[in-house]
Amino acid sequence: MTEFRTVGKSEIKIDVKAKVTGRAVYAADINLPGTLHAKIVRCYEHAHAKVKSLDLSEAAKIPGVVKVFAPEDLTTKFYNQSVIDIMVSEDMRGMLGDIEDQKILTDHVKHYGDGIAAIVATTEEAAERAAERIKVEYEPLPVYLNATESSQDGAVQFTPQKPRNMAFELPEPAFPNNTLGWGDADEGFKEADIIVEDNFYTSKQKQAQMEPNSYIALYDDDGLLSCWTSTQMPKSVQPKIAKLFNLPMSRVRIIQTVVGGGFGARLGMVLEPHICALAMALPGHPIKVQSPREEDWLTSPSRHPGDYWMKMGFKKDGTPVACDAKFVNYKGGYYLDGSGVAFTTGGWVSGLYKFGALRYKGESYFTNQPVCGAYRGYGNPQTNFVLEQLVDRACHELKIDPVEWRKKWHKDVGDDGWCAGVPYASCALDEVLDEGAKAIDWKAKREKYAQQTGVKRRGVGVAVMVHTSGAMPMLLEHTVCTVRLNEDATAVVAFACSDMGQGSHTTLRQIAAETLGFPLEDVSLSVGDSNDAGYDIGAHASRTLYVGGGAVMAACKDALKQLLERAATMLEANPDDLEIEDKQIFVKGSPDRKVAASEICSGGVYPFLNPQTGAPDTIPGQILGYSSFNPMHNSPPFGACFVELEVDTETGEIKLIEMVNGHDIGRAINPAVVEGQLEGGAQQGLGMALTEELYFSTDGKVLNNTFTDYKMLGPSDMPKITNVIIENPDPHGPFGAKSVGEAGLVAPVGATANAIYNAIGIQITDLPITPEKILKALNEKHAA
Amino acid sequence: MSTRILTEFELLTPNTIPEALSILNEFRDNVIPIAGGTDVLVAMKFGFSTEYAMSISAIPDLDYLSFDPNKGLRIGANATISQILDSKAVKQHYPALWQSAKIFATPQIRNSATLIGNLLRASPAGDCSCAVYALGGSIVLVSQQGEREVDIDDLWISYQNTERRSDELAIELRIPAPEPAGRSAFKRLTRVNEDLAKLNVAVNLVMDGDKCTHARLAMGCVAPTPLRLRATEKLLIGQTLDGSVLKRVMASVKEEINPIDDQRSTAEYRKSVSGVFLRRAIEQACDIS
Repeated sequence: MTEFRTVGKSEIKIDVKAKVTGRAVYAADINLPGTLHAKIVRCYEHAHAKVKSLDLSEAAKIPGVVKVFAPEDLTTKFYNQSVIDIMVSEDMRGMLGDIEDQKILTDHVKHYGDGIAAIVATTEEAAERAAERIKVEYEPLPVYLNATESSQDGAVQFTPQKPRNMAFELPEPAFPNNTLGWGDADEGFKEADIIVEDNFYTSKQKQAQMEPNSYIALYDDDGLLSCWTSTQMPKSVQPKIAKLFNLPMSRVRIIQTVVGGGFGARLGMVLEPHICALAMALPGHPIKVQSPREEDWLTSPSRHPGDYWMKMGFKKDGTPVACDAKFVNYKGGYYLDGSGVAFTTGGWVSGLYKFGALRYKGESYFTNQPVCGAYRGYGNPQTNFVLEQLVDRACHELKIDPVEWRKKWHKDVGDDGWCAGVPYASCALDEVLDEGAKAIDWKAKREKYAQQTGVKRRGVGVAVMVHTSGAMPMLLEHTVCTVRLNEDATAVVAFACSDMGQGSHTTLRQIAAETLGFPLEDVSLSVGDSNDAGYDIGAHASRTLYVGGGAVMAACKDALKQLLERAATMLEANPDDLEIEDKQIFVKGSPDRKVAASEICSGGVYPFLNPQTGAPDTIPGQILGYSSFNPMHNSPPFGACFVELEVDTETGEIKLIEMVNGHDIGRAINPAVVEGQLEGGAQQGLGMALTEELYFSTDGKVLNNTFTDYKMLGPSDMPKITNVIIENPDPHGPFGAKSVGEAGLVAPVGATANAIYNAIGIQITDLPITPEKILKALNEKHAA
Repeated sequence: MSTRILTEFELLTPNTIPEALSILNEFRDNVIPIAGGTDVLVAMKFGFSTEYAMSISAIPDLDYLSFDPNKGLRIGANATISQILDSKAVKQHYPALWQSAKIFATPQIRNSATLIGNLLRASPAGDCSCAVYALGGSIVLVSQQGEREVDIDDLWISYQNTERRSDELAIELRIPAPEPAGRSAFKRLTRVNEDLAKLNVAVNLVMDGDKCTHARLAMGCVAPTPLRLRATEKLLIGQTLDGSVLKRVMASVKEEINPIDDQRSTAEYRKSVSGVFLRRAIEQACDIS
């Protein structure tokens, strides 16, 4: 039962018809008259090298080539393609040090596929042919593929400001002893009856969003630089491009095209600096670049791989007395948001369980790998893989049911959250666990599988997680929204929030319609052009529905207030005594004293003067609602995932049988969208657990930047999925809603590993968990 | 590295077999014949270049698949994997081939890729190649010099090289008539369901009651070409397929194969599962559970 008009309904996503019919216009589909085509020439000979000489003369002779560019032919200013620099205060920025370490084209190749030259030609083909004629001489440098190698004495420094190639560690001023946590972990371990401890490796996973990278830019005759891009963050890209090219923001326009998936790969910039620099060099010509799919693995950020060590102590009754952990991630060639995952990975440890004491260290080191940045979950899946396996190992030793242990020891309302100082205001994890366990038939299956014999062994596993809704207090949170009421009392809602396919424009429209009390079809959106809407930090941190929804709600309330004030004047009533229904405003209890919203809106737009009085008959002025919204909380959602699978002990193969995703949504604004997010996340979480990894030759060449060898689960690989969505409205979220964008990916990672543990009694500590690793472990166990 | 722009080549589209043979005769090693193109065009995206590509898709009457209980199966050069899959005769009489077609790539690729193309690309991982190898048969090659039939056992010479001369066109695959007591099966291991094989295996047995009288075993991804497991076959002939025989078979296959580490798996893993997989294919063919 719901008292709402559209909130809680699975309204059809507003972009779905255009996408299904192929009519959606992506950046690649845009062809402006006179477009020239760019090609970024990349280094595929080395993963670490200095460019000794670059000869572009033969390339320039290819018919159709307009101009060739060496690094010094474009701006050589340093920049950072990510957005951490504009999301934190000056104090915090100071603690990060110098984080602008990228150039548009480089003479110091730091990873396979780094860009060394550019070509602009009348056709893509001419640009391609010219690229083949470029002559480069390299001085190879030692290749570092992990933190141990890059931090050793005498290693080549990636940037002078970061000794030992340590890009980041938790900064002392904010984190004493460079650690995060509470209590004294060493003392805590003294009280432990059992200790579980292990070293893990979490892999370099790629978002592999459906749309490859295409960009267009035009520096026009009026001195306006326009860039068409499917970035997740148009309003953050705008000031970054303005800064890079010394332009006022009024001379930079970011037009967000349909975003064919982001998942973090489009957080900030990818090739926007390149295409804008080329456009600035050739004023008046639209320049377009279309990367091959294979370049996406090399140019847009991936998940951070790294070494994760964790140790936990427990009393016999299961009391978790202490946790000590360290995540050392391999940053890749450049900083990007190098501080973020090193910090949040520990945040997700601190947010989940009531450890007696916690000590976490997070460090980032440069490596000669393509860059890392945001990927759905932002450190949380790595933590889930490690933390949840060790919890299950302890539960096994202590003979405690893993579901019961989690119910007893997870953090709850009032406990300090994943970021210290923001206590949880809502938590439905107990109900999520209970309902999830029921849906998968947990107890019966655990008992049954404990008795099994034979070649094929079933297992059922659980993992829980907590995530966030928006990035406060760690990062800036801000969205601006305006609501304009047309003369017929329909509304145009303008904001810069991104819809990457997750359904946010649909759900934000529902929030607008619900708040205004208007039918859904009476609300349209104005989105896409950075100049048409106020600030929004961009789509990341599962924030769009939560923060954007808060902004939409506030702006709609502002418009509604203005509408009711005018109605009150016309009806000679107090605004507080008015109600709106079916766009009629009436005095509570006196339904005959009413005025149509359209009459007020029309009167505002058409305030004709009365010839007799010389004054307008109506209240003049078009109603414009406005909000500049900063949320006061981050309303973390909790989740529990149950996975059932079967391990073939003769081949190590895993067959996924069933999965239950339980999620503490607060309020499902659009249940189908929530389910879509959970299932999409599950596909990526299962992929991370079982198949997905970018891997390298010893000299740093990426070996599988193609769908031939970067394997993601397809529809036929997916298990049967049941979503359990628990609605327990949060006091801060719009209509009680919390996030779901990233959450669905997290717990499937730990739950899959724990299901394998349940099936064969082995924990695999390296991701992904392949049949090769399972069979090897089984053989070793058998031999022992 | 890949490119969005294919390298330049001249596309030739003969309308008859004589026209095609004349093209092949003229350009020899400088022309590559294409049927479905699903492999060659992908290779072009990753650096393979050719001066001429000759598509045979406009040549009529090469897309046949015909079955005669006495003569066996005949498959034309333009017959697609989807056609194999649609054939009741293949499903009934050549289960190994049908099973390999069923999991072959994706529906879109099955609609375009051809069986003969799969054989002629000579990939050690070709699923249908593995099945055909176990079933046995021959490829009909024609040139301006005439026609010859090459036994499937002699087709693959080395990695991606076949017995086909550059002036020859493969026009037909012939698979012998099914034995009344014949049984066959195909199995493979992959990273995800829609994938290239990391190991594939096909068996073709003739049984006299419990006894195996004839065996052809083939395995893929374990050598530079699809591999026939001749030594292991001998362990089956004249034997009842009981546990001890299957154990010997499993031990033997490990010795016969020579796999490598690559993007899809490791040599160690392939060796350790090869016996299990062969045993399971035999069990599947013979309905042993």
